[in-house]
Amino acid sequence: MSKKASNTRRDFLTRMGQGTALAATGGLVWMYLLNQQAHATPFAIRPPGSLAEADFNARCIKCGQCVDACPYDTLKLATAEAGIPIGTPYFIPKEIPCYMCEDIPCLKACPTGAIDPALENIDDSRMGLAVIDIENCLSWQGLRCEICHRECPVKDKAITVEHHPRRISKHAMFVPLVHSDACTGCGICEKACPTQKAAIRIVQPDLVQGQIGDHYRLGWTIDTPITQDFKTDDSDRTGNDTPAPSLDFLNEGSL
Amino acid sequence: MELTRRELLKTSAAAATATAVGITIPATALAKSKEAEAGMQWDKGVCRFCGTGCGIMIGTSEGRIVATKGDPDAPVNRGLNCIKGYFNGKILYGKDRLTQPLMRMKGDKFDKNGKFKPVSWEVAFDEMARQFKKTYQEMGPTGIGVFGSGQYTIPEGYTMAKLMKAGFRSNNIDPNARHCMASAVVGFIQTFGIDEPSGNYDDIEHTDTVVTWGANMAECHPILWARVSDRRLSNDNVKLVNLTTCSNQTSDIADSEIVFKPGTDLAIQNYILRELIKKDAVNHDFVKKHCVFSTGPYDIGYGMRGTDKYAFDAEKDIQAKELKVTLDKDEAIAQRRKEGEVVEQKNTKKPVKHWMITFEEFKRGVEPYTLDFVAELSKGDAAEDIEAYKAKLKGLVDLYADPERKVTSFWTMGFNQHYRGSWVNEQIYAIHLLLGKQAQPGNGAFSLTGQPSACGTAREVGTFAHRLPADLVVFNPKHREFSAKLWKVPAKTLNPKPGSHITKIMRDLEDGHIKWAWVQVNNPFQATANANHWLKAARKEENFLVVSDPYPTISAKVADLILPTAMIFEKWGLYGNAERRTQAWRQQVAPPGEAMGDVWQGLEFAKRFKLKEVWGEQKIPGLKAKGYDDGKLPDVMAEAQKMGYSPEDTLYDVLFANKENLKVKWPDATVSRGHGNHIAEKLGDGWFPEKALFDEYRQFGVGHQHDLAKFDVYYGDKVRGLKWPVVNGKETEWRFNEKYDSYCAKGSGFDFYGKALKKLPGGDLDKVTSKEKTSLAGKAKIFFRPYAAPPEQPDNNYDLWFSTGRVLEHWHTGTMTRRVPELHRAVPTAVLFMNPEDAEKRGLQRNDLAWIESRRGKIKILVETQGRNRPPKGYTFAAFFDKGVFVNKICLDVTCPMSKEEDFKKAAIKVYKA
Repeated sequence: MSKKASNTRRDFLTRMGQGTALAATGGLVWMYLLNQQAHATPFAIRPPGSLAEADFNARCIKCGQCVDACPYDTLKLATAEAGIPIGTPYFIPKEIPCYMCEDIPCLKACPTGAIDPALENIDDSRMGLAVIDIENCLSWQGLRCEICHRECPVKDKAITVEHHPRRISKHAMFVPLVHSDACTGCGICEKACPTQKAAIRIVQPDLVQGQIGDHYRLGWTIDTPITQDFKTDDSDRTGNDTPAPSLDFLNEGSL
Repeated sequence: MELTRRELLKTSAAAATATAVGITIPATALAKSKEAEAGMQWDKGVCRFCGTGCGIMIGTSEGRIVATKGDPDAPVNRGLNCIKGYFNGKILYGKDRLTQPLMRMKGDKFDKNGKFKPVSWEVAFDEMARQFKKTYQEMGPTGIGVFGSGQYTIPEGYTMAKLMKAGFRSNNIDPNARHCMASAVVGFIQTFGIDEPSGNYDDIEHTDTVVTWGANMAECHPILWARVSDRRLSNDNVKLVNLTTCSNQTSDIADSEIVFKPGTDLAIQNYILRELIKKDAVNHDFVKKHCVFSTGPYDIGYGMRGTDKYAFDAEKDIQAKELKVTLDKDEAIAQRRKEGEVVEQKNTKKPVKHWMITFEEFKRGVEPYTLDFVAELSKGDAAEDIEAYKAKLKGLVDLYADPERKVTSFWTMGFNQHYRGSWVNEQIYAIHLLLGKQAQPGNGAFSLTGQPSACGTAREVGTFAHRLPADLVVFNPKHREFSAKLWKVPAKTLNPKPGSHITKIMRDLEDGHIKWAWVQVNNPFQATANANHWLKAARKEENFLVVSDPYPTISAKVADLILPTAMIFEKWGLYGNAERRTQAWRQQVAPPGEAMGDVWQGLEFAKRFKLKEVWGEQKIPGLKAKGYDDGKLPDVMAEAQKMGYSPEDTLYDVLFANKENLKVKWPDATVSRGHGNHIAEKLGDGWFPEKALFDEYRQFGVGHQHDLAKFDVYYGDKVRGLKWPVVNGKETEWRFNEKYDSYCAKGSGFDFYGKALKKLPGGDLDKVTSKEKTSLAGKAKIFFRPYAAPPEQPDNNYDLWFSTGRVLEHWHTGTMTRRVPELHRAVPTAVLFMNPEDAEKRGLQRNDLAWIESRRGKIKILVETQGRNRPPKGYTFAAFFDKGVFVNKICLDVTCPMSKEEDFKKAAIKVYKA
């Protein structure tokens, strides 16, 4: 999905349900959901700029032109085993990640706009989100790895390295952090990760991302100077003719 | 390095993520893994890769290394490793490991143009010795050569140095460490009269200022950099400055990044020296008591050939500078001469000569290096504001000058691989000595090494063309006498004429001066600059090239005979790291197939030579030495017979398996502990070569400021290496400082007791004026060395700078790390780091395939504009690990004329779309 065409119609429940199924129960729930949602699996990692899953599936005519255009053989067309609509393009980062061509040939090849032509800068694509398993990430244990950071094509934006003290010796730890506001989900980090099973993976953002309450701002993240020309809005104070909702409570019954 | 708190917060988001994607290990699987762990045996070892020298523990099971861990007791790394070190256990098990000797054959005979076929060791050694003897008889000891290594174990380097120097009477053994630290060595010897750093890694925790000069420590010394970073984070007063030609990962945590133009580090150093004097930050008391001032000639060439006979046409304009240089505007100012003056390079043969000068002359030397001049000359990023750049230079001076501050300067290949590499090394000591900030905890200029035993083997054992063990040199009659006595060989066995340095061995193969060469523990045909020449030279009909390697490298590909070689934990060995720490390991597993260790290969080869074949009269073209006929080594057989040797004795009998050494028995009750020793077992004559040779070798240094402990001590369970000199069982933390170093004269405070080059004539900035030599015993030298322009610079045709080096994931030419699937997957190929605007100007996008072309060759490479290195406009970098991207075909084989170390950092190239 491109940044512009960000997921407006995401099916939270389905995704969360499938995530749980994979982690915990494996079989039954997953099969049930697959049967229910055979046309829209949220685990497909689509070409850069692809529309939200349902829209994508609606527009994709399975012509395979994006796959032909991909210079790295990253993209492939789904077969029955892939568990997504047959003939639609997707990729598996651990096998071949998206190398983020500046000219986005897959997008140019798409005749229907399933891959959204509105995407101009490949860095704005959002194919998924990298997440780090910090229990198994070598850098998080203090080893000097940070391969994901060095190989990240949007390094210092999508992945940064922070220096933490290591309590048990005089060596700083160089810990990588992923930033969802810049991570394209290209999967180069997952491909490059040297652990036996990758400790950084591309997943659907909603599986892992929380959200801070709308009512609160982290004090140090934005400047909020005290308003000098404060405009009072007292529109609510005029013409208020709705009855007080608490009257019933106040007036009815006995103590 | 400023990270916002917002970013810090994301830590907790990631922690939550772990729970979401984490995999729970079922109890049965856990039990199973515990069971597997129980059958494992652990022993201490050392990381195979860089000069940091991290301790590791090796876990074996059923004859295979199944796990490794960082050694929590190792003071260098406290249980940590970098990503290369993490894979120590896997480097042995590449699929294409060589397991039998391979020789070029037609039918059943060796043929230079044949195909490689497996042969027995017997057949391999027969042909190798036959070819050797043919060349030796024709050309004498100078016709043969050995490409040695800074990755030799100490016993390996010692075996080969002794075999070559005392056996074959040839000084043509030189290690790849020549390409790595020779300039550092010249800096040490000329400044202090003795090799290797005064301080140790604990300087990091003691200092409050770290200045890195041409050292991308974040990638190339990852674990040390973790210590520097920790120091920076734990105290806000600590400042880091990174001087570099290309913005890199080391800059990421630095307080100040100074991007300078290649080669102008010399000017920056002189600017600092000038300012320190102007500010009177000079520690006059220290300087008066412990230092003298010195300088040498400027017209020393660039270490190229003196003739263009072998040059490609395109190379000839650069080669001509070896003879004559026209001074540019900046050099003219820097050297107090006139722009356009043509300077004949008269001192190419004696670049190391130097003389004493006064402090007043020294001041006159640095006077032209004003802030305006140096800033204009050295600013490396055109986009940077000159005033901002000047402020950074001033800030650097302030850090050095602050009397309250301790300063540690680190450098590696940016200094060493430099057409004036020895000079930049000397100038950094000049800064520290002038301030009296040397040889104290936290205060000192500290030369980092690239290879795991560049110090321990190449330098300390002396596997260089001019060296003998413990800083002794072949051209000093007393040193030869001492060595011959210790080696129990006739006094005049040793050859007083220094041999060919590693680049010269290549040139000698090209021009017919060497016809037989043996490559050990390195890959010089990929790792030497201007490779197109040497690849061709290797394949010349009359040359015979032997390559010992565990894997099929580029060097193996151009060889005539390939010997399958045991790797690190398949043999016993010791390495010495950059802080003078000697560390040991045992054989953990047997080598695969017929692969054998380098010690065995040397010893077995020695068996094929009788004394009468090598100790007769030998011609040495150009030899002139007191007590020797010109051009000749005398016949020493008569004296040998007086010593009890027979002409029929082999070099193995005399040099190695002699009476003393045969007393050192394998297995050894103290250290072998059930571990195997495939070399001792194959030799079968009951001795323990590694131990016998080490304990013989250590006698060179004991009592001579180079004391090593006995072999067994390093194998003690509690020992994690010891920093030499080890005197009365105690290691030395800071040398030349009376408080820590028992070799210092009582009451001296500081004693720069190194003995080499400690008698100098006097002179002014330009010449010797008084031939009378003064003794400088106990003193260090503060040199004046002027800025000189790089011989090759970008022009209209070759319009970009090119530099090569390493990346964190791969080691040198990738022979080992590219066999680790995970590392290969992470960084499969070398890429050309370039500025996005430079790429765009050439119609190139990230990941496009491009040609790089220099005067010496062209190669294809992928373009990277968003990489880990962020070059300023006009500058490019690509690592040399990838044999598919043969970077050394591009590089220039200019060397520092004093150290003969190649400058891999400054070539001019053009880049265009492929």
